[in-house]
Amino acid sequence: MAVRWSLEFVTALEHRDLQASAMAVDSTGTYVILAGRRYIAVKNLDDSDFESIRKFSRQSKYDVNAAEWNPTMHHSELCVISSNQHLEILTWSVGELAPTHLMRAHTRVITDLNWHRSNPNLLASASIDTFIHIWDIRDSRKPALSLSAIAEASQVQWNQTAPHILATAHDGDIKIWDQRKGNSPVQYITAHLSKIHGLHWNPQVETQIATSSQDNTVKFFDINNPRRAEFVLMTNAPVWRARYTPFGNGLITVVVPQLRRGENSLLLWNTDSRSSPVHTFVGHKDVVLEFEWRKQKAGDNDFQLVTWSRDQTLLVWRIEPFLQKLCGYDPDNCRKSDCNENETSDTASEVSFKAVSKAKPLQQEFSLLNVQIPNLKVDKMDPVKRCCIVTASTNNYKVVLHVNFPQTYPNGIPPTFEIGPDSSIEEFLSKRIIQSLLYTAQQRVSKGRTCLEPCLRQFATMLEQWVDSSNVTQLHQQPYLEPEIIGAFNDACIPFPRTSGAKFCSVSTLVCFGRQLHTRRVTPKIDSVTPRALSALGNANRRGNEQLTVISHYIHKQRLRLKQTNRSLKCVITVYDAAGLFTVNRHLAEKYMLDGNVERICKHNASMAESVGRWDLVQAWTLAGLIIKTHQVDQDDMLEHPFGNQLIQSLISHYANNSDVQTAAMLSCVFGKGQEEKYRRKSFLKYFPMTAGGSPYHTIPPADVVADGWVFPLLRVARSNSLDNLKIEALPNLPFEKPPISSFYEYYKLAYAEMLHRWGLLYNRAEILKYLCTPTENHKGVEFLTDCQKCKEPSRTTSCITCKRVSLECIICHTSVRGSANCCLVCGHGGHTKHMRQWFEKYSICATGCGCRCLTEALGMFNF
Amino acid sequence: MVTVLNSIDTGHEDMIHDAETDFYGLRLATCSSDNSIKIYDIKNGAHTLLEDLKAHFGPVWQIAWSHPKFGNLLASCSYDRKVIIWKEQQGKWTKYYEYANHDSSVNSVQFAPPECGLALACGSSDGCISILTYHEETNTWDAKKIQNAHAIGCNAVSWSPAVTPEPAFDNGQEEKFVKRLVSGGCDNLVKIWQEEGDKWVEVNKLEVHSDWVRDVAWAPSIGISRHYIASCSQDRRVIIWTSEDCKTWNSSVMHTFDDVVWNVSWSLNGNILAVSGGDNKVSLWSQNSEGWNCISDVLKGQSTL
Repeated sequence: MAVRWSLEFVTALEHRDLQASAMAVDSTGTYVILAGRRYIAVKNLDDSDFESIRKFSRQSKYDVNAAEWNPTMHHSELCVISSNQHLEILTWSVGELAPTHLMRAHTRVITDLNWHRSNPNLLASASIDTFIHIWDIRDSRKPALSLSAIAEASQVQWNQTAPHILATAHDGDIKIWDQRKGNSPVQYITAHLSKIHGLHWNPQVETQIATSSQDNTVKFFDINNPRRAEFVLMTNAPVWRARYTPFGNGLITVVVPQLRRGENSLLLWNTDSRSSPVHTFVGHKDVVLEFEWRKQKAGDNDFQLVTWSRDQTLLVWRIEPFLQKLCGYDPDNCRKSDCNENETSDTASEVSFKAVSKAKPLQQEFSLLNVQIPNLKVDKMDPVKRCCIVTASTNNYKVVLHVNFPQTYPNGIPPTFEIGPDSSIEEFLSKRIIQSLLYTAQQRVSKGRTCLEPCLRQFATMLEQWVDSSNVTQLHQQPYLEPEIIGAFNDACIPFPRTSGAKFCSVSTLVCFGRQLHTRRVTPKIDSVTPRALSALGNANRRGNEQLTVISHYIHKQRLRLKQTNRSLKCVITVYDAAGLFTVNRHLAEKYMLDGNVERICKHNASMAESVGRWDLVQAWTLAGLIIKTHQVDQDDMLEHPFGNQLIQSLISHYANNSDVQTAAMLSCVFGKGQEEKYRRKSFLKYFPMTAGGSPYHTIPPADVVADGWVFPLLRVARSNSLDNLKIEALPNLPFEKPPISSFYEYYKLAYAEMLHRWGLLYNRAEILKYLCTPTENHKGVEFLTDCQKCKEPSRTTSCITCKRVSLECIICHTSVRGSANCCLVCGHGGHTKHMRQWFEKYSICATGCGCRCLTEALGMFNF
Repeated sequence: MVTVLNSIDTGHEDMIHDAETDFYGLRLATCSSDNSIKIYDIKNGAHTLLEDLKAHFGPVWQIAWSHPKFGNLLASCSYDRKVIIWKEQQGKWTKYYEYANHDSSVNSVQFAPPECGLALACGSSDGCISILTYHEETNTWDAKKIQNAHAIGCNAVSWSPAVTPEPAFDNGQEEKFVKRLVSGGCDNLVKIWQEEGDKWVEVNKLEVHSDWVRDVAWAPSIGISRHYIASCSQDRRVIIWTSEDCKTWNSSVMHTFDDVVWNVSWSLNGNILAVSGGDNKVSLWSQNSEGWNCISDVLKGQSTL
């Protein structure tokens, strides 16, 4: 007879030297295999002697990572175990375990395996080598199908109902595969931010899968909706495994307590109420390594759970109907009636046993109560007297609540609530609180659920509401944060983050950033080339801590080599001045001048170039000065001086080709200036005959530009429209219309103007823009118009378009105003700036006598 | 030749992925894996933290400043699939517009040249490129999406400069800027897009790289009658693409580096290219008659600076 430690479980086996790392229960529910590095043992669960066992020694230096019996009746004698990179299939017959197949294809250690749920010959295995192999045991030489997952797989699970679907876990992601479409997963699910330890398909719902993870949660996904988990179960420790129960909405989890000594590592939950577990299995002295359900025997009410722990004991747990009920499972009616009959005819001892089992839920509820409720203190919890006293205090108010639990609680009967006498709240409020607590409790217990915690939470919330009615639902609202940190989604397609870079900014600034010395990889040659996708980050770090960041990627590599533990991070950005690399010069930009006599400009600019030591530019400016001078010596003909113009043009194109936009633009401006002056002096007709020969604007292209084969736009020079017409009339069939280089000159000016803008030299920029030949942009935005004083039509110019009168007449001198004018915004009167200033130096009222206090009232308009 | 102006300890808690100064070079924005964007005043060698922007829920990959004529705008893109445009008003940065219509990480953002108005291109790992355009009249943003621009994902986008000598045969007409984009992606391709009507059409598909293209940069062409595009790739090469007419493109391999190349950036006058990559080095390249040569790699091993 097996030793009974309690009513709840039996110890089936206790074997210290087995050191088994994997356990599996066969499909008949009779045999358990325990596999470790040194032994494989088979235990008959029906054999009540907890020391009898069949032990087979196994000479291997590798542990067994996974073991599983074939779940189908057809091949129930087969068991598969993984050993490093190989799979071994063992056949159990007549008390002997014989290896029958050895399957090798994986190149790295196998992490998990799973038999197909219905096909007796199919088996899937997952490995760190990133492949998932599907084997047909009739041909064990090579896998029947290989799924390439890019990332290493830690879990593999066939769907419980759909025959072609299987799921694999890769760090924090799940991939869903269809066996018929093996080249790529049919679904990606970004499930967790941390590693997924376990996967389990819902045996009832085809598309639902539960994942347990290092991040203390179990998530339930509908595989057709990968964006968001259907619901989440939170625990306070990393979850090693989560598996559905074969009955109801139950779920068994194995958590990994921080200290590895926790007694409550095996929990039963109802997935409909996820705030607290419905039962804790107490008995193992160490962490539960593996658990499996035993096949339910016909006519048996109980389900049996077989667990194997690191304490080297194999326990069989009886899941009694009341626990099944807590998971929302009603054993069918006939069984229930059976049960009742039994109960009535039970002996006294049996009755007391039942009472104990009923007292249990309350004690359990107390022990599992999360007392971390804001403003609430639990004073007393007595499972024997079946009562509980809590005190809530907010803003000087203190309320004591007594809760009494009747014997039949929580099966349909709610507890009674009472506000203690030493509470400092009004009676009407205490009545209301009790009323609403009763309502909540009733709702819970009518489904056979416990109600203490929700009631206490509601109690605290109601008080808070009352004290501060403004923040009504504060407690219930939790900000929804999308889990979007590295390690999610299909990172395989997202490029690996840049960790160093250089960017040219503004005019000559170079901004550089990079990894610091201690995070730099010392010998890049040894390492493989920097990874290309973000998913590399996840793989590299999966065994490290859970923090998957770029920095940890580099530090991780570093630490392997240098054993350096310094994690201090300095992200330094260096800003360089790369002005030395460029021919443009800011000082020159400030000092250059463009105003006045051309010859003087050239002279001045040459001396400026000299002052910053740019001798090449001194030469250029002197040369430009000379060219302009020759123009002036021989006023009539030297404008079209073939050499002078060619020289200027080749100068400009030379600097432009050397990316010295500054000099090119300056020369273009100065050169254009000379031209404009000529235009004013010369008649077009006199100018015209010379154009065919050698006008700089029309015929002399820079040699290099032509060589490039560029097609040039037609002549576009300001103030030459009439000239254009003339030319076309005079020379209707001009053989080769040379485009102007002036359009290039415009671009130089524009580019230089932008450069000046970036330098903040706005005055110089405006000067350059004055030389633009292209029409300025049409003004958009606020504009001041003059209303004609006679016909009230708005006018942009000095005279009204409709009545042709002067639109603005000075109120002082009664003449029309051209040039600088000032008007009162209120009365509209005004005139020459000079006159207005003189007037308002003495007076504050409008000169027309309209009574407007122009100065003060106009000011008032801007004070909104 | 190159002098250090400023060295800023940004205090980011994780790796920096991009840094850029504004139009005038007076402010610096940085973005990092710690999900934040920081803005510094770097005028006259100062480094004062002006703002720490936290609204992304994932690493921020790239940032871009707008032209000041549209106000002080900063665009950022992140792993959280969002593009956020920030605006400074009275010294305070606030979220101005958020675009969340990508299905995967957004890897690149770039403002269009100011001549094209206020527009922003975004490249995402979902393979699409979005072009967001601001309409002043209605004060709205309008998004056009190039679906499936790069099969597996788009890693970089860059606008063509507007100030480019264009053949304009009709004298009288006002100049129209052709909006063009270049993009690079995980399909190893560099693609050139052009706006035609209200659609963006692919005009070129440039195929030379043998691995993911990580960055593309269209050179500002000041006074050069030729278009230059630089692209860099996981295949450790930088390729310079040149064209006379934006129709046919010639490629030449500028250099093959020791490690993957992440980043290419042209200087304002378009004659120097800064290259950086996985080996943590920065080198500057310029073209002479013989071809491209490295003019400075003094920036190698930046961390020692």
